[in-house]
Amino acid sequence: MSSKQSDSGNRIKSLTVYSLLCAFCIVCGYIEFLIPTAAIAPGVKLGISNSVALVLLIKGDIKGAFAVNITRILLSALLFGSPFSLLFSFCAGVISTVVCAVLIKMPKLSPIGVSVAGAVCHNTVQIAIASFIFGKGVWFYLPVLILSGVICGTAIGLLGIVLTEKIKSDF
Amino acid sequence: MKKLKRFDIILIGFLLFASLVLFTVFGTIKRKGKRVVIKQNDTVVYSGELSKDGEVSLKHNTVKIENGEVFMKSADCKNQICVKTGKISKSGETIICLPNKVIVEIE
Ligand SMILES: [Zn+2]
Repeated sequence: MSSKQSDSGNRIKSLTVYSLLCAFCIVCGYIEFLIPTAAIAPGVKLGISNSVALVLLIKGDIKGAFAVNITRILLSALLFGSPFSLLFSFCAGVISTVVCAVLIKMPKLSPIGVSVAGAVCHNTVQIAIASFIFGKGVWFYLPVLILSGVICGTAIGLLGIVLTEKIKSDF
Repeated sequence: MKKLKRFDIILIGFLLFASLVLFTVFGTIKRKGKRVVIKQNDTVVYSGELSKDGEVSLKHNTVKIENGEVFMKSADCKNQICVKTGKISKSGETIICLPNKVIVEIE
């Protein structure tokens, strides 16, 4: 096989894997959408799909993590959201992915810490955007959302570590 | 837990402490509210006493005030987060309907 052919073969392979990961994320997102965690406080979500981006980050695939996260946010908004909810999830998603991508390089921080930091950032950015639209009253949700970020972030971090150990193959 | 590293514990400890402090601070600020204010697209569309029972019908949402508590009775938004938020009664508490840009605030 010439190198050109194997190159395009690899591209198709990784495109397929990324597409599958996105589909997995969207299904996870929909299942979470059915669980009324928002009764605790608006914006509380487990965020299982974040474990996918986390696994990619652990494997050093920063580009892939961004590609999967941005694609799933856009597609989820298209399927279940509104342009308005897209503003929230997109800003929070991009900023938290940037934070995770930077922190994953820190040797003294495990993926659990990275995931916790990402989750808390995500929630704080959402409150910040909400406060521009609804006024400063929404900051009352900050302590609940920090707490839920720590709990969910820890769970997703553990899931990410387990998944990385189980998935031996490279993407 | 051998997977946790030192900075993880520092980070998680700090965040737990921060949320605890914020809970206490906000908890003392929060007291029984007096007024219900409903805003749509950042303009006040309703303002009334919390003690007075009633129903406020907006274009996409219905807000109910009952026994000193307020809740979103119905909404036509897809996510229904506002309806799932439940009852609020303390000052500073809010119910938000993001898709319809409606916020119910207690003052
Ligand atoms: Zn709503």
